Order: sequence, then C-alpha cells, then structure tokens
Amino acid sequence: MALWGMVIDLDRCTGCQACVMACKAENNVPAVGPKEAARGRIISWMHVLREESEERTRFLPRPCLQCDDPPCTKVCPVYATYRNPEGIVAQIHARCIGCRFCMAACPYNAKYFNWLRYQKEGPGQNPDVSVRPKGVVEKCTFCHHRLQKARERARAEGRDLVAGDYVTACAEACPTRAITFGDLLDEGSEVARLARSPRAFRLGEELGTRPKVFYLAEMEGHRRV
Amino acid sequence: MNEPESAFDRSVRRTQWVLAGLAVLFVTGIVTWIAHLIRTAWRLGDVLSASIGISLVAIPVFLTLGGVIVYVFVGLLTDRSAR
Amino acid sequence: MSDAIVERDRALFGPLSETGRGFYLTVGVLGLAILWGAIAYAVQWSEGLGVTGLHQPVSWGFYVTNFVFFIGISHAGTLISAILRLSKAEWRRPITRMAEVITVMVLFIGAGQILVDLGRPDRMMNVIQYGRYQSPLLWDATSISAYLTASTFYLYLPLIPDIAILRDHLGKRRWLYAVLALGWRGTERQWKILNRAIAIMAVLVIPIAVSVHTVVSFVFSMTIQPMWHSTIFGPYFVAGAIFSGIAAIIVAMGIIRRIYRLQSYLKPIHFRYLGQLLLVMTLLWFYLTFAEYLTGYYGNEPEEMKVFWSKFTGPFWPFFWAMVVANFVIPMVLLVRLRHHAVGKTVVASAFVVVGMWLERFIIVVPTLSNPRLPFPEGQYWPTWIEWGELAASFGVFILFYVLFVKLFPIISIWEIQEGRDVGLKEVEERLLTYLPDGAADAAMPEREKVLT
Repeated sequence: MALWGMVIDLDRCTGCQACVMACKAENNVPAVGPKEAARGRIISWMHVLREESEERTRFLPRPCLQCDDPPCTKVCPVYATYRNPEGIVAQIHARCIGCRFCMAACPYNAKYFNWLRYQKEGPGQNPDVSVRPKGVVEKCTFCHHRLQKARERARAEGRDLVAGDYVTACAEACPTRAITFGDLLDEGSEVARLARSPRAFRLGEELGTRPKVFYLAEMEGHRRV
Repeated sequence: MNEPESAFDRSVRRTQWVLAGLAVLFVTGIVTWIAHLIRTAWRLGDVLSASIGISLVAIPVFLTLGGVIVYVFVGLLTDRSAR
Repeated sequence: MSDAIVERDRALFGPLSETGRGFYLTVGVLGLAILWGAIAYAVQWSEGLGVTGLHQPVSWGFYVTNFVFFIGISHAGTLISAILRLSKAEWRRPITRMAEVITVMVLFIGAGQILVDLGRPDRMMNVIQYGRYQSPLLWDATSISAYLTASTFYLYLPLIPDIAILRDHLGKRRWLYAVLALGWRGTERQWKILNRAIAIMAVLVIPIAVSVHTVVSFVFSMTIQPMWHSTIFGPYFVAGAIFSGIAAIIVAMGIIRRIYRLQSYLKPIHFRYLGQLLLVMTLLWFYLTFAEYLTGYYGNEPEEMKVFWSKFTGPFWPFFWAMVVANFVIPMVLLVRLRHHAVGKTVVASAFVVVGMWLERFIIVVPTLSNPRLPFPEGQYWPTWIEWGELAASFGVFILFYVLFVKLFPIISIWEIQEGRDVGLKEVEERLLTYLPDGAADAAMPEREKVLT
C-alpha cells in the first residue's frame, strides 16, 4: 500500500500559475466567469497564495493538503468525503448533499462549492474526470484518475507500479520542478527524501491534521544538491 | 354512555387508534433508523464507536417517549371507569 | 357539566368562536411574507445556492444563523414550562401553553433552515440512508427529533382536557375535537394517567432540551476553527437559547394579551416574574460572553485575534456592538426596576433581546468563516433578497402557525386556570404550612421522619 504525498519547494516556486492552469484543464475545474469571480466564487483546487511584504513577494501553492487526519471527513453527515486507504481524501459528488460542513471545517479552505451550475459536459473536457453538478462540494484529489490509469497500464504490462508512473498534473506542469510527487512510504523515493529534509514543514502542523503535502522553506542562496 | 355507538363515534374511535398506531410507528421508525446507522457504520468500518455511543443514549430516550405515548393513548382510550 | 365553565372563562373562548377582520388581515400579511420566501426558494432550487450572498470563505450565512436562532427560541417553551411545572410555580398557569406552542412551531422552522441551506435538497434522504454518527449534524438530527417528539407530546398532554371542554361546549369542529380528546371524560383514572404522564414528560423534556442546543453548538465547536473551537460553547448556546426563548414568550404574551384582551389572565405580575427571569439570563449571558471573549483576548493567539478584532472593531463591529446593546444594556436598564409599567418594559426589553440573540448567532457563524487561516482575501458576506425572503418567510410561517393554533385551541389552559382556583389555592396554603416550623402539617408528618430527626 502506498501513501501518496507531495513536496513543494518554495525556493523554486515563481508563482507562474502553470500548476493552477494544468489542474483546471486536467480536472475539468470550471471557469466561473468574471461576475462570479468578483463574488468570491472562483474554484481553484490548486491555488497560489500570495503574501506581499516590502522586501519581497512570497508564493505558496496550495492544493488539498490530503491530511492524514482530515477535519473535513469527520464532519460529513453522509460519507461523501472520506480518506481512502492510500491516504487520498476523496469526494463523492453523487453522494454529497451540499451542506458545506466540510468547507466550514477545513482549516485550509481547500474545498470548493458549485454555487451555480458552472458547466455542462462538452468537448474539450477530460473524459476521465466527471463534471460536477450544481450544489456539491469538490476538491483536489491528487489527480486520482491518473492513479487508476497508471495501475491499469502497469497491470496490462504485467509489472508493478513504479515511481514516476503516477504523477499529478500540477507536478508535471511545474516549469521549475518545484513540485515533487510520489509515495511517502517508499523510502528511496524523491518525495520521501525531501519530506525528511530539515527545510520541510507542513501547513498548520500544530492543528494535528498531519497533511501529506510538505513545503520546503525558502532559504536565500540555497541550492538543491 | 351506554348507548349504542353512532357512526360519528365509530369514526372518531377508529381515527384515535390510527393516531396511536402512527405514534408507535414513528418511534419504531426512528429506533430502526438508528439501528440502520449502526449497521452502515459497521459495514463501512466507519467510526462504529460514535454510532454505538450515541445510540446507547438515543434509543432508550425514544423508547421511553414511545412508552409514555402508548401509556397515555391506551390508558385513555380503554378507560371504561365511571366518573 | 354546565355552561358555567364557559361563562367563567369566556375571554378564553373568544379567539375560538369569533374571527374578526384583524385575523384575515394578519393572515394576508403573513401570506405575503411566505410568498416572498416561496418565490425565493423556487429561484434558489432552480439556480442553485449561487443566488444567495454566500461564497468561498463564507460558506454559511443567514440560513445557518436562522437555524441556530430558531432552535434557540424553541427552548422557550417546553423548558420553561417544565421547570415552572416541576417547581410548582402557581403563576405558570396562563403561560405554559403559550410557551409550549412556540417550541413546537419554531422547531419545525429551525430544522427547515437546514433543508433550505442544502446545495442538493433533492438528496436530503441521503442523511437518512447513509447518515454517519461521527458528524455533529446527525447528532442534531437525532436530538432535534427527540425534542420535537417530546415537546409535541408535552404540548398535547395538557391540551386533552381542554379539547374535551371544546368538544362538549364549543359546537364547532366537533369531529376534530372528539378525535383529539381521546375519549376524555375526566374520570379519576384518566386524571391519574394524565398527571403521571405530564410529570414524566416534564422531567424527560429538560435533559432533551439541554442536549438540543448543546449539540447545535457542537456543529461549530467540534471543528478546529478559531473562535468556534471552544469548550464553553455547549453551555453558552444553551444559556443563550433559554435567554432568547424567555424573550420570545414575553413578546408573544404581550401581543396576545393585547389582541385578545386577556389582561385579566396575563397580569403585570406574570410579566414581572418573567422579566426577573430574563434579567437573570441577561446577566448569565453577559457573564458567558465575557468569559468567552476574555479567554480569547488574553490568550492572544493570532488566528483567534483576527476573528476577535473583526468583531470588535473590524467589519462586524456594528453587529457586535448592536448585540451587546440589545442583549445587555437595554435589558439591564429596563428590567432592573419593574415595579411600574412591568408589561411595557419587559415586552420592549424582550423584543430587543430577540433581535440581539439573532445578531449573536450571526456574529458567531460568519466572522470565523470570513477570516481564513491562510492569507486568502477576507470574505465580505452580505445576503441577497433570497436570504431576506427566507428570513421573512420563516417568521411568517412561525406567526401564521401560532395564529392558527390560537384559532383552533385555547392559548391559555382552561382547566389549569380552573384547577388553580379550585385546588391550587388550597394546596398552596397547605404546602406553605408544611414549610413553617409550627405548621399544622407537623401532626400529619410520618412517624419515620420524626425518628430520623
């Protein structure tokens, strides 16, 4: 069994939003239009937060942090969101009743709501990902459909899943390779090595949510060996 | 009070027993529902302790409520004593 | 039985037998409010929750506020009436029914808010079919259904003898009253059953009522969000609920007394006693609010302080300070001295408290969501006409149900008033004597007790 995780190197992130766009295209995340955006209803599973100070601007890409002890799944009244055995926090759109309790409970605001019917099924969408109806919550799934596909391919080729078979769209798209994705339980993997780095930290660690997305702190002049 | 029952009295009496039946059905329904939730939690391996803990309190409360309701309905409806 | 019963308490039969222009006017106005809500809901059903003012960080707004508020008001009734019954407070007699009706009506409306709030109301049955008890929402569902069952039955029990009186004397709606009277003839056995059942229900309903608003608070305090994750929330919500509940009873009493000319039943003394209870709850509410906010302030955790300041000086200051004025300053000024104008003062104070408690629920729900932990832009929430419509309709439905109840059943318990005259007076005297050192009851004391002392 794997435990999927991600490491995001903040030194490498330039805030270019390539991950955001890749995620939107990959997961059929709807563009809500300028009117809805002005109302604060942008849906962005991967969201680049910006913190501006006098000296510099810092970026913090935030997908769903895939907590190992997720506050959102506990409060769901209908089992529409749960942590699957491989550590991915899933959302069942067909089950969700739209009470938005999980959104209120998530300390990272990683869950999004379909306030209106933002899109219909149509050409140009990724056929592997369902288009969400109005009134349900959606979220980053670590591109879970890619895992399913990679598994099927490996099975067809009669081999085990190996590192690199399954990567999320954001990690793939990052031009500075700031995002590393893989199995945290695989000791030899890049992601497991980086997660143990002294630079590694997690968002809101004190909350006890044990996110599986790690960040590498910024260090001026630091270069990865 | 010993006159033969009129059609009016009969319909009244029948409705009263239907009401009593509905009340019992309602309480039984809720208890069954809580039991169903325990079963669902068991099958999904989903925090069985919470379901059992809450039902330990909730089921007796509903049964007590049901008991009082039955006591009143049956007690009043079957009363044949003189004033 | 003669018509002396009707003659003596003629005023109580008034609303049942006569219907004036005012009734139709009221129903018309309430109908308009409900129509507004119905149209708003139809729009929301077809378009989605996007027609409200809700958005990304503020995913809960008016509906959840209304839910907490109305469920809070529901503590008026049953709880107050149960406590007054158990403590044998004789002045309860004209009040209990009025209070119990509020509970039942408002519980339906409170629970309905959650349905209005759902993004997919068509999947409502998922909660029944796939509900999971780890979620506080299921705790609410269970607790509220217990309270609804208990308080409906608790309202119905003391109605039975009154319905029998209506069946025998009113001459209207005989079939309805005959069914609901459950064959009541006032035999000794029937009285025994009724009194025993009322006593059991009065005891049972108190812990259920406390549990209801405790688990409503748990919806918030079980999360780890700043200013929600607080151990005080259970008792804080329960106290606030009783507070707003008493205020709601007083307002209802004031209106009913005026409209149906029941001044001889609802006397200034009733308002004075309830006003004193309201004053105690004002102080308790202030104490709990103070404890809650001082703890947050002193601890000075950055996340808590963001929310704290948004309430005190930030975008929510008008709501916060209006709440303090309506819930504490005004009631304190009005309720401290109730010797004169008790009715007017308590009714005005109560009206402010009802508004203030709504603001309190709002100020708990929204600012926490408006201030996310991560550096997202702050959420500015303002409701649209849809949410105002639901609020108007909620009050509309509540008042309409209440008005209809008054048309169908006596809003002041007839038999309990009569019992007060016939039995209560003597009983109180006898009870008083047992309190006194040289009372006549001494002689009647059981031997056992004398041996013990």
